[in-house]
Amino acid sequence: MLLRRFGITGTIFLLFFVAQEAVVNQLSFPAGGFSIFLILTLLWAALSTPEVAAGVGFGAGFLLDLSPSTSGPLGHWTLILVLMSYAISFLSYGDENKRGNPLSLILMVTLAQVIVLASYLVTGFLLGITATSFAQTLTTIIGSALWTMVVTPLLLPAVAWLHDLAFDSRMRI
Amino acid sequence: MRNGGENRGRLLLVILIVSSLFLITLDLRGVNVLDGLRSGTQTALSPFQRAGNVVLTPVKNFVNDITHLGRTRNQIEDLRKQNQKLREQLILRKNQDGEMEQLKSILDLAGTARFKIVSAKVISQGSSLAFTRTITIDAGSGNGIKKNMTVISGNGLVGVVKEVYSNSAIVMLATDPAFKVGVRIAGTQQIGILAGLGSSTANLQLLDNQTTIKVGDILLARGSINAQPFVPGVPVGRVTSVSNAAGAVTQSATVEYFADFGTLGVVSVVVKAPNADPRDALTPVKPVPTPIPTVTVFVTPTPSASPSGN
Repeated sequence: MLLRRFGITGTIFLLFFVAQEAVVNQLSFPAGGFSIFLILTLLWAALSTPEVAAGVGFGAGFLLDLSPSTSGPLGHWTLILVLMSYAISFLSYGDENKRGNPLSLILMVTLAQVIVLASYLVTGFLLGITATSFAQTLTTIIGSALWTMVVTPLLLPAVAWLHDLAFDSRMRI
Repeated sequence: MRNGGENRGRLLLVILIVSSLFLITLDLRGVNVLDGLRSGTQTALSPFQRAGNVVLTPVKNFVNDITHLGRTRNQIEDLRKQNQKLREQLILRKNQDGEMEQLKSILDLAGTARFKIVSAKVISQGSSLAFTRTITIDAGSGNGIKKNMTVISGNGLVGVVKEVYSNSAIVMLATDPAFKVGVRIAGTQQIGILAGLGSSTANLQLLDNQTTIKVGDILLARGSINAQPFVPGVPVGRVTSVSNAAGAVTQSATVEYFADFGTLGVVSVVVKAPNADPRDALTPVKPVPTPIPTVTVFVTPTPSASPSGN
């Protein structure tokens, strides 16, 4: 059972990672664009238990750290996604008003995306990564939040279905 | 039971956080295994990136045409008259022509400077959500490319090779906030340091406080020891504004890059620089203004009565 869950989840995340690197990154969206991989991770975490969310955050963060376009040290994305995935799941777990309502899920994922990017920047600054200008950073963060609000509703049904497939949880969204 | 579950969850969280911190520490200490992991990922991803590039190029060209509707209205009108097959062929042909044009201008530049270059196609752009400006090219160590080699386009400096894999390489663009290059002003030979700002402009800081810069000055790469990371003489950009802040130790200026980073299709990596510095030989020629014919009107005064009243 556990192996099946790991297998399905790992395959889904790998496919989204390849899609992000090979397709989404090639399209120049205005204002920073979006990351379907980050959206998938945060949605998956919001639909899972805190323990599973932390594990998923670790795996997803590790994959993002392996991305050739990542400038930070290995483990940087991992740390941030472990914390954020656990937090988003901890806040929504057991509260069906949040987990079952698509609107609250979209808002939660958008807010989490903003926090993830801001945390990445701040910790990156502490780790010695050169940051871009303030205006550029603000544009990227706000732009990605808006893109996330647009893209998340499109991905939500598919992610919820895949989550059900992996965990047999029969979530009703 | 619930408390036990919570404790287990917290323990797992702590283990994962510690593992992440452990990975960061290992990476910052430069453990080679971790470099190999990233290199392996890029090697595994590059076929997908190539395939993605092939599939998305017509789409990108189409979107590009749509966004430049005003400029290419006549061209679009012509395209409308053709059937779908011809349209696809034209878009593909247009893409190839663009790449050929870029390649030709790179070869012109490299030929003038006697650079030995390896040309490569841009197969992917780095995610801007990582707050860096990078591209992935389809040539790597198998083609003689090494880390810290200069990357140029037909217009001038594009960036520097940041990571090399067997059949691809990551190029840090000159627009990256972490990018810095020593430059000199063509003609006056004043030197300074140019730093990327994350956009198409950069900031120039002159090293000598006795010298001055003016709008329109052209910057060339000063070159590094053994021509790595920068070969000398490559055109970098043009000064667009000069900042004269009171009390500033040295003069600074805003510089616009010659390279158009939005339309990079083909770039070249300088694998060998000539022994002699090309000096100002690569300075782009300023456009010669077209003479406008002037109309000269000759006025002949008409004879009039003398003011004396005779």
